[in-house]
Amino acid sequence: MTKDIQLKKSHRNFDDAANAALLIAVFTGIWQIVFMLGIWPTISLPSPFMVAGTFAKIIANGSLSQSIGITIGRLLGAFAISITLGTLIGFAMVKFKGFGKTLNSFSAGLLSFPSIAWVPFSILLIGFNEFGIMFVVIMSSIFSIMISTYSSIRNIPSIYLDAAKNIGAKGFSLFRYVTIPAATPSLIIGLRQAWSFAWHAIIGAEILMSIVGLGHILSVGREFLDMSQVIASMVTIFVIGLLVDRFLLHKMEDRIRRKWGLDHHR
Amino acid sequence: MTKLQAKNIVKHFDHNGNSVTALDGIDLNVEEGDFVCIVGPSGCGKSTFLNIVAGLETPDSGEILLNGKPISTPGPDRTMVFQEGALFPWLKVIDNIEFGLKIAGIPQGERREISQRYLDMMQLTKFADSYTYQLSTGMKQRVAIARALAMDPEILLMDEPFAALDSQTRDLLLVELQLIWERTKKTIIFVTHNISESVILGNKVEIFKNRPSKIKKEVIIDYRRPRLAEDENLQKYYHQILDELKSEVIAQSKDEIQ
Repeated sequence: MTKDIQLKKSHRNFDDAANAALLIAVFTGIWQIVFMLGIWPTISLPSPFMVAGTFAKIIANGSLSQSIGITIGRLLGAFAISITLGTLIGFAMVKFKGFGKTLNSFSAGLLSFPSIAWVPFSILLIGFNEFGIMFVVIMSSIFSIMISTYSSIRNIPSIYLDAAKNIGAKGFSLFRYVTIPAATPSLIIGLRQAWSFAWHAIIGAEILMSIVGLGHILSVGREFLDMSQVIASMVTIFVIGLLVDRFLLHKMEDRIRRKWGLDHHR
Repeated sequence: MTKLQAKNIVKHFDHNGNSVTALDGIDLNVEEGDFVCIVGPSGCGKSTFLNIVAGLETPDSGEILLNGKPISTPGPDRTMVFQEGALFPWLKVIDNIEFGLKIAGIPQGERREISQRYLDMMQLTKFADSYTYQLSTGMKQRVAIARALAMDPEILLMDEPFAALDSQTRDLLLVELQLIWERTKKTIIFVTHNISESVILGNKVEIFKNRPSKIKKEVIIDYRRPRLAEDENLQKYYHQILDELKSEVIAQSKDEIQ
């Protein structure tokens, strides 16, 4: 029986991959046709093959892997700070109710604040450097973490807390063994959202503030009128965003949902 | 020996700005080894009373004494089986049962021994490693009972634990619960709106008056066990309780129409 399920699963993975390949083929085909129609000059719209050539070049000279490394490094550093601080502030918001309610409204406002709009502030406050870029990323993702921590904990069904208190949990043990696990499915959704905000922010900040990184090679492409490099950078940004969401965060969410039986509505 | 004593418990609720008296002086003595059932019309405050005994709610006045000592906070000496949905979905069945033991700092070996005993008692051994969504409602309630018993409480509190079950499963659990009671000699307070349940289970049935709630009458049921749902000799107790409750239900519906 398990073999059957495995077989089914590998079938499904194969179907997914086939569908994705088809989508890419159709998209590239249309692109090639539009290119051949000659509506835009080559400098504005290169062919898929020219972009592939640029890819080969930036992979060979190491600038792609270097840019990816720098961008991901900055992002992870900033995101780690964002998660740590955001979660701690979120806990404080739950603990001190009045404070939490007020901060929640403010954070909701700042959630829709465009990440790019932090850039001038960050340049003047911190400077045209690594920390300036990280500051933009932190400010763009921390409110999402705060709100998600706060609301995930507040939305825990009170029956779990009552049941746990009833068999002796209180204080730290209640927090550690009930509050945290009960809030986890919803915390992960917040984490995914925060990740996407952080990803938007890092590219934006790098375009404006950096002399290295993925956002930087994107803006260099524009400065040298090299559309192939612009498109190659965009594809890279898209692929990384997709991989992290699908294969890391979504997988985590899936695993927890399965364990909880949240996909088994009867 | 008196296990639990409720002295003049009063509780008000705020309902749209008006104070509503839910409990208006409940006095109750529960002897060691008693199986006390509390019946009353829905909304009469019987669950509120149980929550106060559990320490999950505090009374506006009056006190609860356990073994002569006043109590005000929740504690594993008074474990509760809730109506439904109180199991932790992030834990396996066995870890749900061991949860309170783990909190109490009991070492793993000893925990396993205790949980194994209650898994066997509740016929859940095969499901030790299942998650709760994989269980039927009846099995979930067995887990909840096992979790409550694993703490070896002074008194077991049950808040309409069988209300969500189909009638076959309920009849089965009604018999099982009597056997468990005889085997463990636990003191049990069982809240229900179902008169037959109270007659089958209780050796004392406390009838709650409609809001503001008081105990209207106590019916002693001295009859052999295990009692079965279809036993006709239980009918006279059933009707005795029904007669007392009828006027309460009528009073309540008048209340609601106004």
